[in-house]
Amino acid sequence: MWPPQHHSPTCVVILFSIHFVLKAEKLFKKQGISHDVIPVPREISSDCGMAVEFPCREIEKVSELLASADIRIAGLYRRDGRDSFQVISRS
Amino acid sequence: MDSKPAPIYVDNAATSFPKPREVIDTISSLLGGMSLSPGRSAHRYSLECSRIIFEARETLASFFNCPDSSRIAFACNVTEALNAGILGLFGTALHPGDHVITTPFEHNSVMRPLRYLEKNAGLTLSILPLSDEGEVMVSELPRLMRDNTRLIVVNHVSNVTGSVVDLEEIGRLKGECLLMVDAAQSAGVFSIDVKKMHIDMLAFTGHKSLFGPTGSGGFYLREGLALQPLKMGGTGSNSETEVQPDFMPDIYEAGTPNTLGIAGLGSGVEFIVKTGLAAIRGHEQRLCALFLDGLRQLKNVTVFGPGAGRQRAAVVSLRVKGKSESEVAFRLDREFGVMVRAGLHCAPAAHRAIGTFPAGTVRFSFGYFNTEKDVATCLRGLDMIAAR
Repeated sequence: MWPPQHHSPTCVVILFSIHFVLKAEKLFKKQGISHDVIPVPREISSDCGMAVEFPCREIEKVSELLASADIRIAGLYRRDGRDSFQVISRS
Repeated sequence: MDSKPAPIYVDNAATSFPKPREVIDTISSLLGGMSLSPGRSAHRYSLECSRIIFEARETLASFFNCPDSSRIAFACNVTEALNAGILGLFGTALHPGDHVITTPFEHNSVMRPLRYLEKNAGLTLSILPLSDEGEVMVSELPRLMRDNTRLIVVNHVSNVTGSVVDLEEIGRLKGECLLMVDAAQSAGVFSIDVKKMHIDMLAFTGHKSLFGPTGSGGFYLREGLALQPLKMGGTGSNSETEVQPDFMPDIYEAGTPNTLGIAGLGSGVEFIVKTGLAAIRGHEQRLCALFLDGLRQLKNVTVFGPGAGRQRAAVVSLRVKGKSESEVAFRLDREFGVMVRAGLHCAPAAHRAIGTFPAGTVRFSFGYFNTEKDVATCLRGLDMIAAR
């Protein structure tokens, strides 16, 4: 099923490289934050990389987690619908 | 014709053999199990490969006490890593007229790029002297340093004599200079801590004491340092731009990587961590001491390298009186099954320094999987070859 079906609103974080996506994935797993590693949505960027999608209620925890691991955020978005995203922040 | 003697591999300084079972299993299950192009597509195979490479990077970072695993870049061997470092620093931290200090024990993978820059780019080069013990005199570093010394390049362990350089002392004495370390022979045997030793760039190969396959290796680059990348191309990141990414590791890893090699290297380092670096070093040094003891009983054999009681790796260079190095190596293989390497070991400066240029030496290099019985066969073979 695409996009992943979430019961609560989700956010998508774009990082600078697959290395940081996987570092984030490892941290999310460790902290028990539910997440999906997804291709960067075309509506956000034409980059062929990956991104991490997670419930928006975790946004503060996620921001702190990434900052504490020195993972820079390239962009943070709220999913408004299947193909629609709202910018929260962008570097 | 006699039947062939059982093979005894004592050329571990060239490449380690055998590899741990875990390394073989990792590589074969991957090769038969999935496509191997990481970071390029979004499907499960690609993502799984990316995770394997990520974990190998994390394992290596932790192994060298590197605080951020993104500062590890993979390369196809230590030669590529050292070239990426030496040639890549040129134009970023190294400029025409700058001074570089190195040691006589450098492999050609350091000497050739340095000599190239000396000849073509106006770098000047000084070489640390050797002590009577056959060790690099780190204490001479302050005397060789000039106002324009920018870089010190050091081979941690000589691939010719097994002599070890005190990296912590260099780290203490280097001042503002950058310290680049060639860990080809030492990684996986001696403890390397990039923070404690103030190492700015560490180049390693996968296929020697880290137990990975050939075609694997890489480097650590300290945060804040940048190299001019040797190659540019697809990284799976920032694909909308035609400019190479400026962040690690992607900046230095253009092109589909050696996924199998990196996975095997990761497995090799995990094997070392599980077995214990001290246990591996202890075993190799016991075999080396046994071999050196035996050599002292042999007539007509001259050993080159650090004296008794000095810190050393299990690499022993020797000559047999009246025999050419290639003849000794050939007969060891044919008559005793003992595989060694004869010649200059791609380190002509080292052989000049120890007085064995141009013929070189016969080099025995023991590994974790060698046994005391192997050492005994090496000694018996040498004794018989020296006698006739």
